Amino acid sequence: MQPLIAGLVRNRKALVGMIILLIIVLIALAAPLLTEYDPAARVGRPHQPPSAEHWLGTTRIGQDVFARLIYGARTSLAVGFGAGLLITVLGTALGIIAGYRGGKTDEAISFFTNMVLVVPNLPLLLVLASFIGQASPLVIAVILGCTSWAWGARVTRAETLSVKQKDFVKSAEMMGEPRWRIMTFEIFPNLISIVGINFIGSVIFAIITEATLEFLGLGDPKTVSWGMMLYNAQKASALSVGAWWDILTPCFALALLGIGLSLLNFAVDEIANPRLRTGNSMSRWSALIRSGEGRL
Amino acid sequence: MAFLLRRLGFYLAAFIAAATINFFLPRLMPGDPIQIMFSSTGTELSAENLASLKLTFGFVDGPLWQQYLTYLKSIFTGDLGRSIKYFPLPVTEVLGHALIWTVALMGTATLISFTLGTFLGILAAWRRGSVFDVVVSVGAIFATSVPAVVTSLIVLFFFGFTLNWFPTGYSADPALDPAFSLTYILSVLYHGILPMLTLCTVLTGGFAVTMRNNMINLLGEDYIVMGRAKGLSDSRVMIWYAARNALLPTVSSLAIAIGTVLGGSLVTEVVFNYPGLGNILYQAILARDYPVIQGQLLIMTIAMLVANFIVDISYVLLDPRLRRT
Amino acid sequence: MTAPLLQVKNLTIDYIGDSTDFRAVDDVSFDVARGEVFGLAGESGCGKSTIAFAISRLHKPPALIRSGRILLEGRDVLDLNPAQLRDFRWREVAMVFQSAMNSLNPVLRVQEQFYDVLRTHQKMNRAQARERTAEMLRLVDIPPDRMKDYPHQFSGGMRQRIVIAICLALNPKIVVMDEPTTALDVVVQREILQRINELRRTFGFSVLFITHDLGLMVQFCDRIGIMLAGKLVEQNTAENIYGAPQHDYTRKLWASFPSLHGEPVMEKVSI
Ligand SMILES: Nc1ncnc2c1ncn2[C@@H]1O[C@H](COP(=O)(O)OP(=O)(O)OP(=O)(O)O)[C@@H](O)[C@H]1O
Ligand SMILES: [Mg+2]
Repeated sequence: MQPLIAGLVRNRKALVGMIILLIIVLIALAAPLLTEYDPAARVGRPHQPPSAEHWLGTTRIGQDVFARLIYGARTSLAVGFGAGLLITVLGTALGIIAGYRGGKTDEAISFFTNMVLVVPNLPLLLVLASFIGQASPLVIAVILGCTSWAWGARVTRAETLSVKQKDFVKSAEMMGEPRWRIMTFEIFPNLISIVGINFIGSVIFAIITEATLEFLGLGDPKTVSWGMMLYNAQKASALSVGAWWDILTPCFALALLGIGLSLLNFAVDEIANPRLRTGNSMSRWSALIRSGEGRL
Repeated sequence: MAFLLRRLGFYLAAFIAAATINFFLPRLMPGDPIQIMFSSTGTELSAENLASLKLTFGFVDGPLWQQYLTYLKSIFTGDLGRSIKYFPLPVTEVLGHALIWTVALMGTATLISFTLGTFLGILAAWRRGSVFDVVVSVGAIFATSVPAVVTSLIVLFFFGFTLNWFPTGYSADPALDPAFSLTYILSVLYHGILPMLTLCTVLTGGFAVTMRNNMINLLGEDYIVMGRAKGLSDSRVMIWYAARNALLPTVSSLAIAIGTVLGGSLVTEVVFNYPGLGNILYQAILARDYPVIQGQLLIMTIAMLVANFIVDISYVLLDPRLRRT
Repeated sequence: MTAPLLQVKNLTIDYIGDSTDFRAVDDVSFDVARGEVFGLAGESGCGKSTIAFAISRLHKPPALIRSGRILLEGRDVLDLNPAQLRDFRWREVAMVFQSAMNSLNPVLRVQEQFYDVLRTHQKMNRAQARERTAEMLRLVDIPPDRMKDYPHQFSGGMRQRIVIAICLALNPKIVVMDEPTTALDVVVQREILQRINELRRTFGFSVLFITHDLGLMVQFCDRIGIMLAGKLVEQNTAENIYGAPQHDYTRKLWASFPSLHGEPVMEKVSI
């Protein structure tokens, strides 16, 4: 845990990612302070371009795009982190149990995991969501959590298999510690970077998928979220009537959030796998070569 | 061989699982499944049509297991029922047309982006820390982290609407008759460029990062150092010692990427109004055409399984350790 | 006395870190004569492999050669340009790596791994290369018809012998062996060392032999250098290193080999 946090503080990618994420979170929290408009209400004439009054213009039915953007951030973040947490908890628990218990338990869980991995995720979600009909963000988060844990379970299992061989696990077993204690207090802490990568990846996945499902018309029309903004803009043919602000606003917001989270993810990956790191030593090395203080 | 047979058995199980989900979903939903599936559609169905629809989806009298078997049988005989929106066209026919477009679009895009991404990843890893590496790595982060919906819409906005360089929908000029003529083929290519560009943008970065990281993990291996010690040319060591081995984990991660490819192409088709499976699914969702929606899940599962199997085969071909003589 | 084949002079190598550097090799000098077996011994991490890599100039960042010269027949290896370097590698200095079991490319057939050397350096065509490969495999007791197999189809000891055969394919002047036998059991280890010794008598190449196993080393080497934390602390003939160690550290090393020191170590003749 300690080296992970220390590494994150020093990593440039992590820093930029953190800043992006922090800004989006602050804006989402401070939404009522930043705009006077109700994101769901009709507050202007339809499809007005950006102006002093409506910073990012209005939608086809006259809602304020900026208000929808910053209130929508709440939904995206909530679904992303909620579903991401659920996915990670399920994947980590199943992975550790399968890897540590082995035998029949492992076979059953692994078979199930592999099965879920080959059933195409997005179409399955679409079918689920279409039966539920007008899924609220909460429902979307829950079905995402229940269907998307398989990748995490697989990598966690593989990692557990190697941690299980370590001496401290063996000695805990000798001392007769109960299995659940070994799994939670001996094995889990050693998987922290895998869990971190899984979590951030799942958050990205959940945010993208929620937006996609809503864009495809499976969301609840009353929701204020980036995906519904895309859906409404597309339905209003925003691009062909030239109302670019209506559709590009949620686009750039989603892109920015995605990039911020990905930067964090790559950073954790680099910290977990030292071979991927290009630290300060490379630039020092190049400088020494250039100044003729050594050669290869 | 044994390996591939085992995989085949596994895929069969996975297919049955997907079919089972399809069967139980409407039944697990609150309310009357028949009500959900066949009434709220707006389309009037005659009583006998409704009966035939129900039959395909196992909504017949009798205990649940019997319904389930009837349903499985109809699936394995290739009967996916009839579309409600395009009644009385069978679902298989509605999907069959679309499948060709999707396979063409997805297949080409996967091939291009896998080749390009792998190549970029190899070079980036080989020139670790160079400007090229930084450009590829940062570019890949950007390209992969932007959702496919967003990439599609942005590409459509700039190249379709603002610059007006490319058509903004359809797979070919609707005024042309589908024929094996030069005009038609050119039109297909012209219409395919933007969806293709989008998919390649979404996919290439991921392949590049995977290949780069796999290469970097291998570069310290003894056989690569020995390749250099042998005095071989740089390109031979890079391709035949490093990349050729790094390709193995890359190909196995391709299996997982197929889901992303499928999801990406689904979204891209909707945005570009491309007449593939994704677009059909979209239309079916808007029309609450449940038979088509359910048929889609099965077809896409099959597509996914076939793609996985192709990956399995190429893995066996690439890794001599798995080849048993 | 003729000039030595290999001269390492005041070699100093650092690994560049994020803020400080690690000196892995510190002002090391030694010579290897023609046909001689020179041993480098020392505990794990003392810089032996770092020296071995430098001789073929195989280092990659963050390694940095700070100073020193590496002369082979009077020519400084560190001055070669990339083309000369490619030509020099394997033809003059061949190498058996620390984990020779993993130094064959798993996806290429054994004959391919001979062929790329023979084609690059001697412009052989496939038929000539096949003939040469068969000849080399026979030298190390591998049936030549197995050249079509992949590395994983051989046992660890066989893979080791294949690597040695590839090493000798170009008649190099010196073979660097970095713990060539650590992964093998004692019987196979002995067998391989015996084979190397015979081949050395036949072809007259020199060997730079690296290990942390002093007992093995005195049986096999003519002269031995003892390394401690990057420095070469003692250099002498095998007999003297065994019989009259000068440096404290050498004595300490011997003390850690209680079973070997004393009885069967000096049966050098048998090898
Ligand atoms: N890439 C590297 N970066 C930083 N330090 C390194 C690197 N490679 C080696 N070192 C350090 O250099 C020192 C010498 O390493 P070297 O591999 O030469 O040891 P060795 O004598 O061959 O040991 P062994 O008997 O275990 O093979 C070690 O302390 C090691 O930690
Ligand atoms: Mg070593």
